[in-house]
Parts: sequence; C-alpha cells; structure tokens
Amino acid sequence: MKKLFFVLFSLIINVDTFAAFESTYEPLQSEKILFINGNILDGEGNELLDTDLLIADGKIIAIGKGISVDDKDVKIIDAKNKWITPGIIDIHSHMGVYPAPSVRTSSDGNEATSPVTAEVWAEHSMWVQDPQYALALKGGITTFHVLPGSANLIGGRGVTVKNLQRNTIQSMKYPDAKHSLKMACGENPKRVYGNRGQAPSTRMGNFAGYRKAWIEAENYLNKLEAYDSKSDEEKMVESPPKRDLRLDTLSDVLKDEILVHIHCYRAEEMALMIDVAKEFNYKITAFHHGVEAYKIADLLADNGICGALWADWWGFKHEAYDMVQANIAIVDQARGGKGCAIVHSDDERGIQRLNQEAAKARAAGNKAGYDISKARAMNWITSNPAKAAGIYDETGSLVAGKNADVVLWSGDPFSVYSLAEQVFIDGALAFDRNTGFGPVSDFDVGIVDPREDRVND
Amino acid sequence: MIRIIYFLSLCFISISAISQTIVIKGGEIHTGLNQESFIGDILIEGDTILEVSTKPLKADVVVDASNKIVTPGVIAPDTQIGILEIGAISETRDGDSNMYSMGFSVFDAINPNSTLIPWNRSNGVTSAITLPDFNWDPLSGMASYFLLDGSLRVNGVPDVALTGEIGAVSSGSRAESLILLKDLLEFASTLDEKDISSSKKISEVMEDFEVADLMELQPRDVIALYNLLNNKLPLVIKTNRASDILKLIDIKKLYGLNLILMSAQEAELVKGEIAENNIPVIVNPFDNIPDSFDELASNIRIAASLEEAGIKVMFSESRTHNYHLIRQGAGNAVANGMSYTGAIMALTSNVAKSFNIADRGILKKGMKADIVIWEDDPLEPATFPTKVFIDGNDMDLTTRSSRLTERYTDKRDLPNTYK
Repeated sequence: MKKLFFVLFSLIINVDTFAAFESTYEPLQSEKILFINGNILDGEGNELLDTDLLIADGKIIAIGKGISVDDKDVKIIDAKNKWITPGIIDIHSHMGVYPAPSVRTSSDGNEATSPVTAEVWAEHSMWVQDPQYALALKGGITTFHVLPGSANLIGGRGVTVKNLQRNTIQSMKYPDAKHSLKMACGENPKRVYGNRGQAPSTRMGNFAGYRKAWIEAENYLNKLEAYDSKSDEEKMVESPPKRDLRLDTLSDVLKDEILVHIHCYRAEEMALMIDVAKEFNYKITAFHHGVEAYKIADLLADNGICGALWADWWGFKHEAYDMVQANIAIVDQARGGKGCAIVHSDDERGIQRLNQEAAKARAAGNKAGYDISKARAMNWITSNPAKAAGIYDETGSLVAGKNADVVLWSGDPFSVYSLAEQVFIDGALAFDRNTGFGPVSDFDVGIVDPREDRVND
Repeated sequence: MIRIIYFLSLCFISISAISQTIVIKGGEIHTGLNQESFIGDILIEGDTILEVSTKPLKADVVVDASNKIVTPGVIAPDTQIGILEIGAISETRDGDSNMYSMGFSVFDAINPNSTLIPWNRSNGVTSAITLPDFNWDPLSGMASYFLLDGSLRVNGVPDVALTGEIGAVSSGSRAESLILLKDLLEFASTLDEKDISSSKKISEVMEDFEVADLMELQPRDVIALYNLLNNKLPLVIKTNRASDILKLIDIKKLYGLNLILMSAQEAELVKGEIAENNIPVIVNPFDNIPDSFDELASNIRIAASLEEAGIKVMFSESRTHNYHLIRQGAGNAVANGMSYTGAIMALTSNVAKSFNIADRGILKKGMKADIVIWEDDPLEPATFPTKVFIDGNDMDLTTRSSRLTERYTDKRDLPNTYK
C-alpha cells in the first residue's frame, strides 16, 4: 500500500515537473568558417582591425591575427574591408505579439483586462508567421526579447527568442533563457484603467497596485516554502497550496528566476521603483524607454540596472518630453563607465537598424563631451542586451566558446550605408544578402502574385 | 555736432545691416539640383543668395566651410511642426477641426515657440509643410508652409495644398470614399468665380448639390474646392494600395488635379503610370513593413525604384517630433539603391517644386539663403549641422534638449535645479 502511494506520488511529481512550453530549438547545420582579415568589434569593447575569426560546431573557436587552420573542409570568407560584429540583440520587441499586418485579430500584446496579469506569457500570443522577423534578421538581429505591452502595471512574462523562424514558438525559444517580467510605470496603466473608472487612475495608484501584488506574492511564496519544508510523510497527507498562475510568476521573481524589466520614463518613478524592489527584495534588470534615465544615471549604475533606451524618440507623451540625445551615453558613462546602456527598438522599423540608432547615440554622446569608441558603443546592441536577457554567458560577444552568432557587414556598422551581408546563428548561415538565402514566412507565400513570394526586404 | 555723429552712426548701422555680405567658403556644395557636387563659395546678401561659384568670392563675413558639406536647408514635406507639442495631450494638438473640412487652415494655429522648431532646425530642417490630421476623409483640410526661424509672426504661406486620404476603412468601403471624392470634385468643377463671390451665392450653389449638404460643407470649404481646381492647388492624398493609386490617377486626369501621392507603399507596382502623369510621391524610406493589407508590396527599395522610373520623390518620417530623421531615411534610401544626388533633391528642391515654393530648396543665385553647413555627410545620422542659415540669418542652434544635456553633464556638486 505504502509503495503504491509512493508510485502515485512520484507520478504526481512527474506531472508537476513537466516543463510546459520548453524550448525545442535546433540550430541549422553549422559550418566551419574562417573569416580572414576582417575588422572586428567584438562586443567586449575591443576594436580588432585586420583580424581573423574561426567558428565551428556552432561556437566561436578563435579570434586573432593570422589564424591558420589545417583542414580542407574549412570555408574561408574574405572579410577584408568588411566588419564583423556579434549578432545584434534587441531587448525590447513586440514582433509576433503585434505582428504585421497590424490587424485587431492578431493584436495580442496587451491583456488589458486587469492591471496585474502576471499569469500571461508573451510566447502564448506570438504568431510565428510574422513577416517582421525576417526583416529584423536582415538588419543583423540574431536574438530578440518579446515583451507584453505596457497597458498593465504587471503585464506578464516576456520571452527570449532565436531569430530563426519556425512553425512553433517552442522551436524558436532560446534554450534555458530566463523569462522576464514586464512591469510598467506612469501614463499607460493609469490611462488605460483610469479611463474605465477603476484603479489605478493615478501614479500613486500605480504604486499601490505594485505593492499589493508583491505582498500577495510574498504570502504565496511563504506558503510554498512552508509546504516544501515538510517531510515526505506530511506531504502525503497534506495537499500542496493551490497553484496560482499569477502568483507563480511573481514568486519566481522573488526567487530570482525571472528577470524584471520595467517600462518607465520619468526619473523619479524609476527611483521609486528601485525602492519597491528593495522593499520586496527582488532585483530590477533594466528600465525600458527611460527618456529621463540621464537624470539618475548614477543611481542606475549603483544599483546595477541597465537602461534600455532609444536614441532620440520623444514628445509622444508628457513623460517622454525631456529627451536628450546623449541619454544613452550618459547612462553608459555613469560612475566612470560602470553604467549599462542598451539601445532598444520597441519598433519593427527600428529593430532593422539598431546599429544606426547606436551610431546616433554615440555621436550625440561625443558631441556632449564624452569620448566613446565605436567598440564601446557596439556593447549597447550586443553584450549589454545579452546580459539583460540573462544569456551573456552564451552569446552577445565574440569570445571563444560562445555561440557563433555573427554578422558580417559590408562596411563600418556605424555608417548608414553599411548593410548586413551575412548573418550566422549558432554558426549556421541564416541570411545571405548576395544570394538571397533567408527565411520566407508562410504569410509571404503567393500573397501578392500567387507565383511568387512577397518581396520582404 | 553730437547730433550729426548720432545721425551718422545711425546711417552706418542701418547701411551695414543692409549691405553686410557673408561668404560660405570652400565647402562641398550640393545645390539641390540634378548636378554633381563641387567645391565652391556661396555669397549671401541679406536674405538672398547673390552668387554660387567655384571661384573664390569675397564678403564682409567669411564662414569657413572647408572639409564640410553645404546643402540647401532641408524642407520637410509631411510634418505637424507648430501644431503639435505632445502627442498624448490633445490640448497641445491643433490638427483637427470639428467644423470645417477642406476649408480648414492650420496656419493660424502654428506656435512659433514650439520646442519642435529649434529641435528640427538644429538638425538641418529650415522649413516645413505642416498638415492637418488625416481622418479618412477623401478630402480634408489644408496644409501650410512656414520657415523654422521661430519668428513670432510666422513667416510662411498659408494653405499651400489640400489633403485627403483614400484606402482601407474599418467600416464602409473604399469605394464609398472614391465616390465621395468624385462627387466633391464634380461639384467643384461646376463652380465659377461668381459662385464663390459671396456667402449667399455659395449657399445657393450648395443647394444644388446633395454632397455639399451630406458633408455639411461651409462656405470656406466650397472656396477651397474652387481653388483646388481653378488655382491648381496641390492635392496631397495619403494612400497605399496599387489599385487605389490607379483610381486616383484616373481622377487626376479627369479633373486636371495637381496630385501628390503620400505614403504610397505600393507605388512600385504602378510606377510607370505615376511617372507618365508626373505625380510626385512622398514616401517613408524606412517603412518596409506590410502594416496593412493595403501595403503588401511595401519594401525598402521604394525610393530607388521610384527614382529610377523618373518620379519626383520626397521623404516623410512617421515618428512624430523628429521630422529631421528624413535625412537618415534618405541615407537608407541611398544604401538601398537611390542616387545620392536624388536623395538630396528629395530633401530639398523636390519639395519646393512640388509645393510651388519658387524661391527655396536650391542653392543658386536669386534664391533665399536657407543653407546648412554639415560637419560631414548629411545622410549619415551621426552627422550634425555646424551652421544653419534661414533667410540669410545665422540661426542659433540651442535646443531645450541641448540645455538639458549641459545641465546633466555639468559635474559641479550642485542639485540640477541650481545648475
């Protein structure tokens, strides 16, 4: 009898531990490639001119001058006068949840029915046939993070995705990457709910809403932990606390298993959000949009929080009015260069040229008196977003042992005229501008002229 | 004696104010015309360009432009500069009318103290067309042209074009919009000078046309319709689908419209007919997204493709406030096949020509001196202007943004409010 109990119990455990929606990602067939004499910005702040890069088995093998490979199978790519960077990473995208065409029937990014919807996951909304992924790939994007929108105080879980379009979302998910939790400050949640005559309708209402949710999460986590600490015998007679999807997400944040990303524009609101995080003992990974981040750049650096920012967007809302083009540079240079700056897009056009956005932000910073190299500014669209997505150990810079996510540019990536010629994900060619090799979504098949694919450039 | 000196000094001041000449020296000049750039000098007197030459010119004031690029000031053809301050605050927006349609003029709403003016000016835009909101009416209000010189009495030309929109609608049909457009134009075609000579006359002619009643037209709307046909007022229609563009071309031919297409994301599919009918097109060179089922043929080579067909191209930029980013858009157009000279023309002379601005948009003798000196290639988004002249005046390039930057990069140990 007791044995049977144990069998049943372990069956229950098995069911419980089935990790739903886990990544089934498989890379394309990788090649052994030696890029010779390229100009490399490695994503670690280094500019390496006339340098070679060797990739094989999906990984970066070596980077340096005069690498020789004694292998007939190695493919040589002459990168003379071309530039090589890590794959570009966008930490703020709504591709898939706000796909093109932007029609109501697939506008699935905001579960704007309650101010706290920590139970929803962006990956459950993503349309895998969105033609926008391929456009981003042509701009060098190898990895992107999809967030729910900002209608809610707590909008739900975001997901990190490899930019290899497939037929299921599981097969695009970045393996073992942590989820994010999307939170939002300011005008959006108070407008959405205030207009319906419900809380929150003010900024103070927003803060009450966050804290109320975290108090619930703390209680839930306490109950879970109390149950976990019980003996196996006790667990057999006592059922575990009832599972709550909303509080699952929030308690995972408190357990440091989910990264917190907050849509927040105003300086004083960011400072208050840092206090809420301290009150409930969780960490904020990044503030997004942060048009006023420059006003509290030192505070962000002191708390190890990244600013995921635009180069120059402003004026669409009052909280986006105090724009300075040096925002990204000021955040980057805080505390003697200890800041973490990220150029994000939040835009299906911007994601195609994050390199140009970084170029603008760097130029504005240097005009304001800083001396920021291209190599440093490259970190804003590679290693820093990789850190903010929790995948820096695997990608985001060209370092031996990391995934071979690589972009070969026709010229200086900080020039408007340079285009991504070839994009590699896990050492496999995903896009080639010269041959036209690249993904074609089902959406694009025969939709304008039935005999052809829609031009998706 | 003192009086005489005073008088003489007054003369001196006024004479120098009139006759002081400026030469922009040794820059790489892109005239805005379809010609190669050259190294040369530009001589300015007052608000006018006296001479543009590859030979050295002399003047009272010399502005060194060696190793720099000189272009006409950028003219932005699709903006809401002056009638929009903060997008989400409707009280700061003046682009819509509840009472008028075609006769609605935005000119009187233009705020010369808007922060968008110094911001876009410091990024090389010297004048702009500002348009009322599009609200899916086939014909709506009028666009105005003005200089970004910040003058409190706005320098510009009211009502340089009529606007409208044709395309996908969430209820009803685009066919309805096209019928309405034709009915309005049919009504307009019956109007003569006598009909619009007084409100009473206008009311009389309106009685004969149901569409006037249906649209609740006001007398000034009828006058705008009259001007559209009789004074060949440019008509800017925002539209995207290839089939809609063809319908508009038919209507243009029928009524002799001075049509300008805006957005026109499927223009490539019908570029031959657009070129044949000399229709200028305003495109957003960034916009390769099939945002709707009207834009399935949208792609990044649109500007190059239209230029190749011989179409006059202009640029717009969807992101509000940063209208100057049409320059980055132009760079992207060049990166995707457009000619460099064509891209500069798209930012300058093509706009002036399409909107009948006879004295701007080109660097040549007799034109108004709206000139930008760039530290480097103006189509690189990382390039800033070093000098901006409007009507020959060397403009201040300070912006609210540059002031805030100074404040927050000031390392003194003081609260920001005391810096």
